[in-house]
Amino acid sequence: MKQSVFYRIKRNKVYLLLLLPTLLYYLLFHYVPMFGIVVSFMDYNLFKGVWHSPWVGLKHYRMFLSNPDAWLIVRNTLLLGLYKFIFAFPAPIALAVLFYEMRWKKFRRFVQSVSYLPYFLSSVVLSSVMIMLLSPSTGWINKAIQSLGYEPINFLQRPEWFRTIYIASDIWQMTGYGTIIFLAALAAIDPQLYEAARMDGANRWKQTVHVTIPGIIPAIVIMFIMSISGIINIPFDKAFLIGNAGNMDTADIITTYVYRIGILGGGMSYATAINLSLGLVTMLLVYLTNAASRKVGETSLW
Amino acid sequence: MKSLKWTWAAAAAVALTVSGCGNNNNNEPAASSSDASGASQSASATASGSASASAALPEPAKIRIFTENNTAWPPKPDWGVWKWVKEETNIDVEQVLATGPESLALAVSSGDMPDVLSVFPNDVQKFGSQGAFEDLSKHLDQMPNVKAFLDSHPDVMSRVVSPNGEIYSIINDGAGEGSQMVWFYRDDIFKKNNLEVPKTWDELYTVAKKLKEIYPDSYPFLFRHGLSTLDTFGPSFDIYPEFYQDPADPTKMKFGLEDPNAKTMVEWLNKFVKEKLIPPDWLTMDYKAWTQFMSTNKAFVTVQFIGQIEIMNSQLTDGHLQFMAPPIGAGDKPYLPKGGQEGYGLAVASTSKNMDAAFRYLDYIFSEKGKDIQSWGKEGETYTVVDGKRKFNDNYKEANDLRVISGIQTAATYGWFDFNAWLSLVKPEEQYAYVEAPKYRFPVAYSRPNLTADEAAALSTSNDQLWKFWTGEVTKFINGDRPLTEWDAFIKELGKHDLEKVRTTYQTALDRQLANTK
Repeated sequence: MKQSVFYRIKRNKVYLLLLLPTLLYYLLFHYVPMFGIVVSFMDYNLFKGVWHSPWVGLKHYRMFLSNPDAWLIVRNTLLLGLYKFIFAFPAPIALAVLFYEMRWKKFRRFVQSVSYLPYFLSSVVLSSVMIMLLSPSTGWINKAIQSLGYEPINFLQRPEWFRTIYIASDIWQMTGYGTIIFLAALAAIDPQLYEAARMDGANRWKQTVHVTIPGIIPAIVIMFIMSISGIINIPFDKAFLIGNAGNMDTADIITTYVYRIGILGGGMSYATAINLSLGLVTMLLVYLTNAASRKVGETSLW
Repeated sequence: MKSLKWTWAAAAAVALTVSGCGNNNNNEPAASSSDASGASQSASATASGSASASAALPEPAKIRIFTENNTAWPPKPDWGVWKWVKEETNIDVEQVLATGPESLALAVSSGDMPDVLSVFPNDVQKFGSQGAFEDLSKHLDQMPNVKAFLDSHPDVMSRVVSPNGEIYSIINDGAGEGSQMVWFYRDDIFKKNNLEVPKTWDELYTVAKKLKEIYPDSYPFLFRHGLSTLDTFGPSFDIYPEFYQDPADPTKMKFGLEDPNAKTMVEWLNKFVKEKLIPPDWLTMDYKAWTQFMSTNKAFVTVQFIGQIEIMNSQLTDGHLQFMAPPIGAGDKPYLPKGGQEGYGLAVASTSKNMDAAFRYLDYIFSEKGKDIQSWGKEGETYTVVDGKRKFNDNYKEANDLRVISGIQTAATYGWFDFNAWLSLVKPEEQYAYVEAPKYRFPVAYSRPNLTADEAAALSTSNDQLWKFWTGEVTKFINGDRPLTEWDAFIKELGKHDLEKVRTTYQTALDRQLANTK
């Protein structure tokens, strides 16, 4: 009954060949670069490369911890991630349920397509659209505020507005596209459950609460665990593009700091040390969430 | 279907070959015609030079040059500047383009650096000491023209010599006049409303108030470089914002914001913002918005690159811009930053396999002849001599066309630029600014002494910390988010952000530089 590995490879060679490109991709672009983390333990010399730069141990980690800006940057990153998680994570679920409940199919398909569109804008375009819209001298939003008799708000130069702008634009851009996975989960719910619920006298709201939502709980849990990693790993581009000296107090996050110090300042080792520590924290968070969800429910990533 | 495809391919190949030959054929007569005209005209030196050069051209070589990718003058492989290099030195140049601030770091770490690289001084500080660039001081015998250039330009020399005596790059010279920041104003609007040109910040304020009354939806004073504009405002208050060599005592480094005049400057800006004489989005203004304000009668006094005066005037259908002397903010002299210096320099990759050709290239562009050709092009081809004066051909309508059409005055195409070439295309009525601006130069340039690799590494986070702190706080002061009564507290807080560490390091570097140049 037990087959040799060789035999199994031979038998499944076509499938394995199909797997090969993906495997190569991950090896080349995700595993090989991981080797680069060694530079965080050396005084990396860009020109001499990894083989000839001197080792310095934990110097760069200590440097980050003793930097008075470190706490602020970590705090900015965590808060931004947390707010994003709280406000942006439920949005596609709510929207997907609304789409699902929508009975007029043609209209529903139209609204759905429109809601996907912002996802395809690059952050560069999105940021310049926001800078234009929010300008206190020429922007439409401030024109509207002024027409109501209020003073224009200098959105992009004030630290207290940065998170709101960031997250609101994120929701606008990502929610429509994010519904896809939940809509797929919704489509898999057995219609008989609704029939049974109706027999028991459940109205539309009750059906949603007791059939629809529980039906997509596994998908929600998986997405939840995956988006935990997003609390720390905030993409660089948008924060960099709408950040400036005015809102730096809240806009300077780990990725923008790493870019300034590492790429512009040439401190590769230091920047890598920061990034690696955060990667480890993220991994820990994802692991803990996964473990918790495995304990509480049946769904988990692994 | 298949045969059709092949026909097309063959046709394309033939076309390419023909056009290639066409180019070669064009080169020949152009070169010989310049020889012929050389006998008759003043350019005889150039012509005899090229005649002897073509007789004894060195071995053909090919180098790759890493340079900027500017959308306003998109690089072309058939630019005249590269063709002249080929004619004079027998070197074929291939351009490798930078796409962003990280491009150079990627080129260095790729292990395949282009032979010659356009670099800024801070790049040199970062990568030169790591061994990425060749120490040119060891090769000066091979480059007699570069040596002569450095000997005759002690200011460039002091900027390129590293603390240990190496020269990792040579900074270009001569074209800096075109990139200085100046003040200018709408003289037609001022005349129409009987307004005096402001000579002080006080008068600037009064005039701006009046303009705001006359044009209520305008922001009379406009600038688009955010906080970096303080580098331009500073000198009219007798300071630069961060560290520089103190003009009062050139042996000391000075942090400009600590000077009481810095507070005066920030107070003025705060007042302008509060009374809506400056647009509220001054920090995030981009070029497009700036142009819009300037061209729709919504701004009347501004600070910008000198070349923008002519560009804007050619766009303004109704109205006219003119150079304005910088208004005095503190002290008794109107100052602009000490301009005229250039930022770009050229380095040679230490890994280059064509190092001799790279040196030959550098030596050519820093020679008198190279200066002349790379600035003016060649007689008959780009210009003609009329009444003993050179005149560019008619297809060069404004100065910027030199860049667009021929690549003249773009990064890495010249070493030592003859700015008269550029000026000759600036309209006579627009030359005023170029004549006036140098009269207002601040005594010292806004630059810092070169650091050693260890010093630079030790300062990288401190510099970032200090920069982030002061830019953030000064923005708050200007926008009125932090009351100016807290200015003294702010100056004290600077100390918490490594001010002393940065000061000591630069002071050490300055002491060393002064000792070396004695």
